[in-house]
Amino acid sequence: MLKITIVSTLLFLSNVTLAQKKVRYDLFVRDTIVNYAGKEKHAYAVNGQIPMPELHFNEGDTAEIYVHNELNTETSIHWHGLILPNEQDGVPYLTTAPIKAHSTHLYYFPIVQNGTYWYHSHTKLQEQIGMYGAFIIHKREEQKIAEYTMILSDWTNMKPFEVHRRLHSANDWSAIKKAETQKGAVQSYSDAIADGSLNIKLKNEWKRMLAMDVSDVYYDKFLTNGKEEDAAPQFKAGDKVRLRIINGSSSTYFWLKYAGGKIEVVASDGIDVEPVVVDRMIIAVAEIYDVIVTIPSDSASFEFLATSEDRIKSTSLWLGSGIKQLASPLKPLKYFEGMSMMNDMIKMDGNLDDMGMNMSLQQMDMNVVMYPEITGAKEDIKNNSSNADNRYNSNALSDIVTLNYSMLKSPVKTTLPNAPTQVLNFELTGNMNRYVWSINNKTVSETDKILIKKGENIRIILYNNSMMRHPMHLHGHFFRVVNGQGDYSPLKNVLDIMPMETDTIEFAATESGDWFFHCHILYHMMSGMGRIFSYENSPPNTQLPDAKKALQKLYKDDREFHFMFQNDFATNGNDGELMFMNTRWNFQAEWRLGYHDMHGYEVETHFGRYIGKMQWLFPYVGIDYRYRKMDMNEVEKNIFNQTNTKDKRQTICIGIQYTLPMLIVADARLDSDGEFRLQFMREDIPLSKRFRMNLMYNSDYEYMASLKYILTNKFSLSTHYDSDMGFGGGFTFSY
Amino acid sequence: MKSLLNILISAPVLLFTMACNASMKNSKSVSVKISGNCEMCEQTIETAANVKDEVSLDWNKDNKIAIVSYDSTKTNTNEILKRVALAGYDNEKFLAPDDAYQKLAACCKYERSTKKATQEPGDAQTNNIETKQDSVKQTVEVNQLILVSNYYFDLKNALIKANTASAAEKAKDLSQALSSVKMEKLQDAQHIVWMKVYKSLIAASESITKSKNVEAQRAQFITLSENMYGLMKVAQLETPVYYQNCPMYNDGKGANWLSLENNVKNPYYGSQMLTCGKTIETIK
Repeated sequence: MLKITIVSTLLFLSNVTLAQKKVRYDLFVRDTIVNYAGKEKHAYAVNGQIPMPELHFNEGDTAEIYVHNELNTETSIHWHGLILPNEQDGVPYLTTAPIKAHSTHLYYFPIVQNGTYWYHSHTKLQEQIGMYGAFIIHKREEQKIAEYTMILSDWTNMKPFEVHRRLHSANDWSAIKKAETQKGAVQSYSDAIADGSLNIKLKNEWKRMLAMDVSDVYYDKFLTNGKEEDAAPQFKAGDKVRLRIINGSSSTYFWLKYAGGKIEVVASDGIDVEPVVVDRMIIAVAEIYDVIVTIPSDSASFEFLATSEDRIKSTSLWLGSGIKQLASPLKPLKYFEGMSMMNDMIKMDGNLDDMGMNMSLQQMDMNVVMYPEITGAKEDIKNNSSNADNRYNSNALSDIVTLNYSMLKSPVKTTLPNAPTQVLNFELTGNMNRYVWSINNKTVSETDKILIKKGENIRIILYNNSMMRHPMHLHGHFFRVVNGQGDYSPLKNVLDIMPMETDTIEFAATESGDWFFHCHILYHMMSGMGRIFSYENSPPNTQLPDAKKALQKLYKDDREFHFMFQNDFATNGNDGELMFMNTRWNFQAEWRLGYHDMHGYEVETHFGRYIGKMQWLFPYVGIDYRYRKMDMNEVEKNIFNQTNTKDKRQTICIGIQYTLPMLIVADARLDSDGEFRLQFMREDIPLSKRFRMNLMYNSDYEYMASLKYILTNKFSLSTHYDSDMGFGGGFTFSY
Repeated sequence: MKSLLNILISAPVLLFTMACNASMKNSKSVSVKISGNCEMCEQTIETAANVKDEVSLDWNKDNKIAIVSYDSTKTNTNEILKRVALAGYDNEKFLAPDDAYQKLAACCKYERSTKKATQEPGDAQTNNIETKQDSVKQTVEVNQLILVSNYYFDLKNALIKANTASAAEKAKDLSQALSSVKMEKLQDAQHIVWMKVYKSLIAASESITKSKNVEAQRAQFITLSENMYGLMKVAQLETPVYYQNCPMYNDGKGANWLSLENNVKNPYYGSQMLTCGKTIETIK
């Protein structure tokens, strides 16, 4: 009898192991050199390839993935969209131990779902240069249909670190690069005049906005499966092909359209939806859509076109074989229409005003005013008589059907269990000029974790009060997007939210541990746009023995200081500044160094903190040192009739800077000698694509005007007139 | 003597070509076939292709052959021919997007031979539907009701845009399509409905053709839509058709129409109240 029990137990056990197939992958992360855009650049390759290899599993398998880090720096892998134990999630220092240089880490977790997902590095900016790949889980009994994976990405020849640093110093080199392909991208005064829209540009600056950007970064190339153009000639006429489209880019949204007809959307973020047929769709950063397209014929290959949201460049997949049938490209954006729209929407205090339109779920797309195919070429617009409610509704304005979230419907009920609900209000906040991104005006490191209880439901009401769209991603859970489909609301793990939209998402708290919720635009995440959900009474995480210390490492990301330096080497002296700044703090130094005593030498330093959501207010303390030899008996006085000490001054000062309309910085300060100074300054006035002007005047009767012609991202020709040093010309070096 | 003459004639020509090429570095020449009709085509094609000091293209409208000279360090034939196709002209490497071709002037709408061979994507879909139907009927025959419904939807779209002229034209197409339906080829169920509605369908579409303003057309469209609804229920279309209702039109009596899309675009009010209404039935 005992024997039988043992035998049957053994049999049972072996059955279990058979059903749970273990699937092993070995990933070797190495440094590599690639040439995507004319220059050899550093990147990361896994098993010698970019993107990382496509991993395949069946639902019910157990994943056993060894990551061999052969880099000299640490790395990590996050399994995007997967439901797995907390310590397998792969956010270094939050859920998982970082994979140290030259070490191996094992990820081991059961596969409990199916669909299209992806995986990427969650360490620093590694994702930008190669660390992204497809993660495909097949259903146990899957209907056999031709399929192809399309993983999109963006490539820049600039080092990601440089990209990030420059974003924080409001450098507009990226707009100049864009203007090479698309006129008017700099949105300079001369572009505005040429467009007959100078009033719009001035009103824009009156409301303290820099040039509007649809995307932040200039990319040299957009890639499909690591190539500028990919081809899948194996498909034949009449084939229905399931395209698994993953947006693995760091900060690019893509418009998708197909030259062979309509696009049938069948899944979103890995989860099936009721099929919906559209002409085109936008895919947010980190979003995933499975679509079905039909190959119309055997004698041509049909373009599946992915165009960056700023419409500067595109990448294609050719389906089928033969002569290439092009999809018509998206026409350039009407920038000044967009600017005019922003003027209407932005209040003087910098907050956005949706004018009572209750925008949500991508239905009202303010950007349609910039899309010629929806709102017509510039000259036709005035004849457009559609009513106010439909002004931004793309599907009502044209015959082109564009996917939006209200059209997604789950085939099964997705209602949450009956449980108490915790409601959270997240206002997405940002400051374009200083590239600060946050939630409720607080970055990840500036807030505590949000405590949640297992068993309760969490509802998040998101309002985007910033001027850019954000793809918000939740780790380890799917949320329902409350979109008017009732019990059949779709499940997603990335939600794209446009400026001024309010969206509601909700999920059941069923896990344990700490889970990240963040904007998936890499540079926004690294600037601190996120929150951590933490389950109460979670067991300690064995991978992070000192959780407190580890968390400080995570916080370091958004506390990072960025360095900026500029010097004008001119005939009459050196003129420059440097800044060392982070989310709130800024250390500034400015200098004017003449070549002889009559011109003088001066250095002014400030250290201060930006106050308020818009960061227009900047109180500071500083040191002012200057020396200038004056003529005998010469006495200088300021407007307030105080004697000036420009000849020799070593003082400590306190002051306050405030950004006025037209982006003029007013600077009032008082020094330890009792002298008061008021100064007005406007920097980088965009006269034309490459000409910039600076103006300054202060109550010491000092003034300065300078003109700069930008040659490259580091060098400019410059000329200036300064009340102390006179006229000079030279070149400016910026870092 | 004759050969000498030849040389004399060709020498300046040769010189001229060389001079032409001299302005371009690393020049490479190829000949390619580009579809097109007339002189206007020639101008459009060449403007699309040419870039100063980089590409010079000369297209011959008689034999449709273009001689392309280009700086091979700066560009390639793929880039050049893609620009030509985007301007609306099929060539050996690329087929123009349909909307680019549609935008060409009437005289430039060349016969799309390459394109024909590949079929319009739209055709392919219709064909699929046909094959579905065939399996039922065992004969290779177009579903006549699909053709009728297509003209109806065109008419509806013209009314949404309040375009009287276009609506009249589409209504004319519709009445022609209705008149040419071979009723002996309809299935029994279809035949029964057809007998009930075809007279008033033709009458309504003819009076839309004759109407001089959009309001009169829309009034006729009510009857037309009601009869079409009966027909669509038996038409066995592959794609769902949405039966939609606007409660306000016709002095609050309401009016219905059919659409291929679930989102409402009201043909009775157009842009005045484009999204007024709702779907009351989905015909599958």
